[in-house]
Amino acid sequence: MEQVQKTEVIVTEGITKVYAADGIPVNALNGIDLTIQSGEFTAIVGPSGSGKTTFLNIISGLDSPTEGKVWLAGKVLSEMSGNELSDFRRDNIGFIFQAYNLIPVLTVEENVEYIMLLAGVPKAERHERVIAMLETVGLKGVADRTPTQLSGGQQQRVAIARAMVSEPTIILADEPTANLDSKTGADLLEMMHHLNLETGMTFIFSTHDPMVMESAQRLITLRDGRIDTDERK
Amino acid sequence: MWLILIKLAWRNIFRNKRRTLIAATAIGIGLAALIFVDALMIGMSENMVRTATGSFLGDAQIHRAGFRDAQEVALTIQALDDVTEGLATEAIVEHFTQRVLAPSMITSPANVSAIALVGVNPQTEQFLSQIDDVITEGVYFEGDSSRDIVIGAKLAEILEIGLGDRVVVTVAQAESGDLSQEMFRISGIYHFAGEEMNSGMAFVRIEKAREMLAIGNAAHEIAIKFTSLAYSQDSTLPFWKTFSQHGNEALSWIELMSQLNAILEMTKVSKYIMGVILFGVVVFGIINTLFMSLYERMFEFGVLRAVGTRPFGMARVILFEAGALAIVSIGLGAILGFVLTAIFAHVGIDYTGIEMTGVTIQEFIRPVMTVEQFVIYPVWLFIFTIIAGLYPARYAAKMVPVDAMRRSF
Repeated sequence: MEQVQKTEVIVTEGITKVYAADGIPVNALNGIDLTIQSGEFTAIVGPSGSGKTTFLNIISGLDSPTEGKVWLAGKVLSEMSGNELSDFRRDNIGFIFQAYNLIPVLTVEENVEYIMLLAGVPKAERHERVIAMLETVGLKGVADRTPTQLSGGQQQRVAIARAMVSEPTIILADEPTANLDSKTGADLLEMMHHLNLETGMTFIFSTHDPMVMESAQRLITLRDGRIDTDERK
Repeated sequence: MWLILIKLAWRNIFRNKRRTLIAATAIGIGLAALIFVDALMIGMSENMVRTATGSFLGDAQIHRAGFRDAQEVALTIQALDDVTEGLATEAIVEHFTQRVLAPSMITSPANVSAIALVGVNPQTEQFLSQIDDVITEGVYFEGDSSRDIVIGAKLAEILEIGLGDRVVVTVAQAESGDLSQEMFRISGIYHFAGEEMNSGMAFVRIEKAREMLAIGNAAHEIAIKFTSLAYSQDSTLPFWKTFSQHGNEALSWIELMSQLNAILEMTKVSKYIMGVILFGVVVFGIINTLFMSLYERMFEFGVLRAVGTRPFGMARVILFEAGALAIVSIGLGAILGFVLTAIFAHVGIDYTGIEMTGVTIQEFIRPVMTVEQFVIYPVWLFIFTIIAGLYPARYAAKMVPVDAMRRSF
């Protein structure tokens, strides 16, 4: 199992996560084995406390499992040092958060180019890619604005641009439509679907939104820290 | 990469303008206080040294070795002609004057008092002491009467005498120890702020003093004024060795008034202690401010970590914020320190009449600004701020992204 095939973007093997809540151990995940292929548009659903958050945290390297292993783009996350993991997230994972989480003191352009700055991409190339990405997400002409000067939908578009601009292996989206009205949510979802088809980038959503569930190619339901159902459409 | 982190830090500290302003003002007040105290201490030291050296002492003195301890009138300066010739050609010497000193008794019809009789050359003495400047009654050795004597106001009060009255001065002669008495007429009365000079000294012409002591053309003391006071603080100058030959000793005011020097050294130490205390308070203020800012933006820091910022990158953001806070604080502190010091340098602080280690302050103390105060202390403050920022920076670097974001997914 040390070597995964190129098309297998994420492979988890026996992922278990135990938290100590007030000294009492709580099993958030109970041995999850899952493989996600490149280019999939996957939604992870389940009731609150089912382990969606914990699972996404672990596959993104933001948290470590109590037991089990995670392979992301062929690398074992638990074997990486802090810096290696930071660089790996920078190069391979794009994050879209429910509350957008843009840096308010940076302009739209600076927010989007931040990850490329970390990666040492030259200035001219950064600028070119930022402008192109903002155009792709329908935000032409807002590069010099700050996030507070944008609507919620626009901010989430910036967040999508930030997540995608460095062409990561996967995009992890936490309830990306939860703070948006249904029309804006639908527009964004359509845009992400389009980008998925166009770029072949892998999207993994954590969601309660029926609209997201409907558009997902694969629907994984978690219950009590276990995979309850795994449907492909 | 550095640029975006610096940009991030600079803009972050202005996110909560009120808090930044309060923190920067508090730190700035610390810096301003340090600048002011330093300027005040320099002003006070210069004032005291100027008073001590300018009143009577001189920047340096030459005596026969042992004279200062024994006060024995037979211990006159050796090879006096060579010494005076040497001083006359010494480039760093601006003025010098010979003195004759003798413990004596002064008697009036009403009272008697023990004094130090000082024989002076009025022409050269005026450059070394301020007696001629503080004459309140009569004159300072005008005319050519060898029986003129100038005394302090307090001594005049003790002896119950006034201008023109007669007194008798008794000394023991150098070789024989025989008593020698001379009658003098009060030609001048001076008033110094210092008690010792007011009540314990009397001045006569040097020729008369030599005659009374039967020491020929000898002298007990040569007071020297350098072209710059700084020479008196330079113990490496060949001057000290050159004029410490033939059994004589050349000493600067630092050695002559070792107590004053010790007090001045102590004020330097106390300034450093105060600096450490002030900067200590500042350090805790900075740590508090940075942590408040950090906790407020915990989620944001979690996001920065999540998207790939390395732990050291996070630490740099905090350190840059600390640096940005320091720069704002230094700007405020330097302006405040400058204004405060400039005001008091103009107005002055009235400590006149207060005596410390035998030196009575005679002028208003005016704080003295130096370039160092606006360079060294700000640099210290910047370094302290960065050091203070290390703790929150370490915290930010060790932050687990998922803990920072809490509800990340």
